[in-house]
Amino acid sequence: MSDVQNTLRDRVRSLLAEGKISCFIGWGPTRFKDRTIPKFANKPEDAGELVYNEHCLSNLAKYALDFQFSAEVAGIAVRGCESRAINRLIADGRLTRSKLYLVGIPCEGMLENGSTAEKCAFCRHRNPVVYDELIGEPVAEQENPPRFEQVLELESASSEDRYDFWQREFAKCIRCYACRNACPACNCMECYTEQYRTGWQGKQANTLENSVFGFTRAYHIGDRCIECGECERVCPMGIPLMKLNRKLVKDVESLFGSEESGLSDDASHALGCYDKEDLEEFM
Amino acid sequence: MELKKENLEKALTALTRLGKVLVPGVVDGVKKFVPYAAGADIDLDMVNTTLPPKDVLFPQTQKMYRFTTGPDAAFEEISDAEEQILFGARPCDAQSIDCLDKVFLSGEYTDAYYADKRGKLTIVAAACAKAAPTCFCRSMGVDPGGAPNADLLLAPTAGGWNLHCQSDKGKAVLEALSGLLEDADGQALPPAQPELVVDMAPVAEKISTMFEHPIWDELHRPCIGCGTCTFVCPTCYCFEMGPEMHGAEGTEMRYWDSCMFSEYTRMAGGHNPRPSAKERLRNRYLHKLSYFVERYGQTLCVGCGRCVEKCPANLDISRAIEMIGEAKTE
Repeated sequence: MSDVQNTLRDRVRSLLAEGKISCFIGWGPTRFKDRTIPKFANKPEDAGELVYNEHCLSNLAKYALDFQFSAEVAGIAVRGCESRAINRLIADGRLTRSKLYLVGIPCEGMLENGSTAEKCAFCRHRNPVVYDELIGEPVAEQENPPRFEQVLELESASSEDRYDFWQREFAKCIRCYACRNACPACNCMECYTEQYRTGWQGKQANTLENSVFGFTRAYHIGDRCIECGECERVCPMGIPLMKLNRKLVKDVESLFGSEESGLSDDASHALGCYDKEDLEEFM
Repeated sequence: MELKKENLEKALTALTRLGKVLVPGVVDGVKKFVPYAAGADIDLDMVNTTLPPKDVLFPQTQKMYRFTTGPDAAFEEISDAEEQILFGARPCDAQSIDCLDKVFLSGEYTDAYYADKRGKLTIVAAACAKAAPTCFCRSMGVDPGGAPNADLLLAPTAGGWNLHCQSDKGKAVLEALSGLLEDADGQALPPAQPELVVDMAPVAEKISTMFEHPIWDELHRPCIGCGTCTFVCPTCYCFEMGPEMHGAEGTEMRYWDSCMFSEYTRMAGGHNPRPSAKERLRNRYLHKLSYFVERYGQTLCVGCGRCVEKCPANLDISRAIEMIGEAKTE
């Protein structure tokens, strides 16, 4: 990984010096060895502060939105998860491909508390699906990681037990909205929870209002979730949000035959477009 | 006097006669202060709970009063304060309650809801024998070996805790524990020495002049604008109020708000004086390290490290303190 870090620093230094990009979004160090922080390199000399190691847990893609109204090109490090998030943001009309310079990094998974991070365990795209240049050699993809294993387990429970499970989990929610803010698919200009005096979402932190938020968010991203696992990683209360998201991903895949979200930047999403061939069992 | 570990459960059970006993525990994977019940999953050795004890005095959602609108308009106050014993709060937690006391009890206006709960709260603090890597209490003027505003201090020993009574409420606790305590003190363990040390002195000197400093242009950039730091913070006290209506009947509530949320400072007509994460993060840090100091003579950060531990982007207020200290000012 130190090779990747060195190459990344060299490339970013050149890209900034040549004026190809105005800023590069990568990772930087913190005072803790096992943590990194999103780092913005603005000048060639900043490139030396970039870090790439097994603790680069943050998905950087959403920081590209900081440059959405900029005339300049922004550079960003993309692994599989970032590249799919970038595709998602372009497909949703939030980013323009020509204003991004994507430095691809094949990834073998990150570490959390000494073992493979939960968000990386079921990854099917360790290599970036889109990039302008690639650092290092592509890595082998995990063969059929059991991404729906936990969903199948939960599906086998009775509806009462599933209801109790999610009520208990959402009782823990403190409504910090870290899940929403970290999520590349949660990219509305204004979230319904922030709308003034609409009354959609009560601010009370109780199981009912927390569930309204949790389930609304899950449905809203159900066909666009790229399974990066950021929501679950950032949740300070440890709510297993990916169990919910993957249930919806699984249903959307089986009902609409959709491909995984974020594999291209022009794919329509099942719940966002009308098709005469769509199932209408309930009509 | 020493309370032996093997008598802890008996002691907590004895204290339930005085009120609701809240202890550090783990519920569905979340570390927080939980009402004690025999056999509960309590853990007095954990360095810090994830959720701070501020909820005990200042609930995330507080029902204030019920009302009916229309010709029969009526109000009914809601008071849910009860005797509570906060057992095993850390010195930083105790200091955070001192901060909240300043906000809600000092000055011209006393907050009735907070005052009611505070009057009925007994603080039994537990000094720290070990520190987490994110702890920096000493740098913020908090002694991990003491808690001046606690009613009773538990100082860890090899086999339990020595008890130091610090108020009349503390005496009541000692009386409730009679028969469960050893007369002699145990061998006290040395207090924790957090490895994370930052220097507040240069910050105090110049932060009031740094509102327009370029440091804020970069510091905020990793911030994703969630409310995690403010909600796990033991001293963040911002709230909003609003009713929950069912027809003509309603309940007025107040709930935690976060200065990191984009709509926090949104005004009528849509203007927002803190339009981006830059202004919001600057406000949060200046409030903790400057405005509160000017007003009350102490920082609004107690160095508990909860925000450092839980920030999704790994922003670190202790690092910000260093950077402010190192920043060049004219």
